[in-house]
Amino acid sequence: MANDLGFWTLQALNALQLSMLLFLLSIGLTVIFGLMHFVNLAHGSLYALGAYVAASLAAVGGFWMGFFLAPVAVAGVGILLYSGLIRRMRKSGPMAQVLVTFGLIFAMLDLTRIFWGDLALAIEVPALLDGRLSFLGVEYPTYRLFIIALGLAIIAALAFVLGRTQIGAMIRAGVDNDAMAACLGINVERLFFVVFCVGCALAGLAGAVAAPLLSVTPDMGLQILIPTLIVIVIGGLGSLKGAVAGSLIFGFVQTFGAVLAPQLASVLIYALLAAVLVIKPVGLFPAKG
Amino acid sequence: MFRHTPLRYGVLVLLAAAALFQAFTAEYFGLEILTEILILAMLVLALDMVAGFGGMVSLCHGALMGVGAYAYAMLTTKAGIAPPVAMAGSVAITGAAAWVIGAVCARSHGIYFIMATLAFGQMAYSWVFEAPVFGGDDGLGGIARLDLTMIGLDLTDSRSFALFCLFALGAAYGATVLILRSGLGRSLSGIMHNEQRMRALGLTVWRVKADVFGLSGMIAGLAGALAAQHIMFVSPGLLGWTVSGEALVVVILGGLGTLVGPLVGAAAFVVLKHELSAVTPYWHLVVGVILIAVVMSRANGIFGWVEARWGARIDRRVADATRKQQPGEVVSDA
Repeated sequence: MANDLGFWTLQALNALQLSMLLFLLSIGLTVIFGLMHFVNLAHGSLYALGAYVAASLAAVGGFWMGFFLAPVAVAGVGILLYSGLIRRMRKSGPMAQVLVTFGLIFAMLDLTRIFWGDLALAIEVPALLDGRLSFLGVEYPTYRLFIIALGLAIIAALAFVLGRTQIGAMIRAGVDNDAMAACLGINVERLFFVVFCVGCALAGLAGAVAAPLLSVTPDMGLQILIPTLIVIVIGGLGSLKGAVAGSLIFGFVQTFGAVLAPQLASVLIYALLAAVLVIKPVGLFPAKG
Repeated sequence: MFRHTPLRYGVLVLLAAAALFQAFTAEYFGLEILTEILILAMLVLALDMVAGFGGMVSLCHGALMGVGAYAYAMLTTKAGIAPPVAMAGSVAITGAAAWVIGAVCARSHGIYFIMATLAFGQMAYSWVFEAPVFGGDDGLGGIARLDLTMIGLDLTDSRSFALFCLFALGAAYGATVLILRSGLGRSLSGIMHNEQRMRALGLTVWRVKADVFGLSGMIAGLAGALAAQHIMFVSPGLLGWTVSGEALVVVILGGLGTLVGPLVGAAAFVVLKHELSAVTPYWHLVVGVILIAVVMSRANGIFGWVEARWGARIDRRVADATRKQQPGEVVSDA
């Protein structure tokens, strides 16, 4: 089995698919942290919310309606959170932020249970993406290939926006030194707001694309939170490069660990995180040198 | 450094009296809740020691308690060691584990420290969850309680066990106060306020942090050994990160860095949880909203709020009263 090229391709695709899903979540979280120094533990809850909204909309208007509207809905919730809570918590220390967003996790967990109940929901994969595709000599579900393609497209889009446009330059300046950026005439507050909304929308998108793969349950946000945090801490806070590297490392270690050393798989990733924190306490590619 | 103000003494006496009253009057269910409060109180005491006095906001204390519980369970059921020795052993094992975690994480600060401790806690959780030795998802059952029949206490009785836990909590509280008042505890406070200055003064910062973290881990381990004896069963859920998160919530609700506050918080949290879950299945929502309100109000928890509002006045009155007495004595002497 282990010498079969097809097996390795299959596992690599699985790893890549997991990485892309984590990337969609972690990029929002990491840029929000890098720019606003805000620790939003409720990011996972936004992802769960995205999955629920997508599931409800899919039942009404099909998968694509959920796919396109869930990020918008989650961004709307993000706006409410920002104006109600997060703007006021900006100046508090990380401890207070962790606790407020921990309270949000509690509240949102029960709110989803009140609105959607405890039972798991399921979404059908759309007809266009159903079935399997022959890819590099292996049969692979089209929907998972779609997630990989979507993730790569978003990486490319973000790399372009952050690296080549004026707003990207402003965001990078804000991450680097927000006081100086404000002095240069950049409206940092508005920039924060936009970035926060985009981050929330990406979390909603991640929820919407994850919904057909995993069953939609109230605690899915809690389950994804820890992997997402590991990704951004390994990668380093605030940078696109870090989020990409972190998600790839997590996806591959987790997938190949589960196949090659099932006993060690889950310990392996935490050991890796501990090792990174000991050797480079600020992650592999932090936004600030 | 930690000081006992008259207000703190008063609340401590009140808490102890309430616990004793509950222990002697309550029925089975009330005693179970009391024991739950006492064990949680011991855990948050350990957490407040590092978070409130050393700035080390740990998200692995739940896991440390779980390590203590599992160590006790393994030592008694698998290794066949007598419960008193096993208790000491589990405290020592948890302390050693915590010391290593503290030493490794000592260089990290702020959110990185939180994440690093979370990573270690999750590592322990996954290990316990996966390894067949620990019974995996099913946990381990048939854990014996300590045998104290020679001093006339039958710990299988829930009243005696609650009293035993109360005694252990008192001892842990005393130990915590002693540690915080020792040179080690004062160095820790110094590090929290200005780490660079303490380093410049020649202090080995990581050693102080690791030592206090280890001592705090020993208290968490004791809480774990008691928790294992309380429910006579251990499962991986004990080590989950939400347990650590809840412990942190309790410390914050009570009042960070006051030692007395977290004890109040533990009682409030457990009672609130039981009362709310009897009324609604959505008690997390209420706790979440309360937590957000407490943090947003910028008060230092319930006890911190009381202390900020009335603490100074009460302390002044007590001071006035004692001063009035003393001159009186002087006058009578003259």
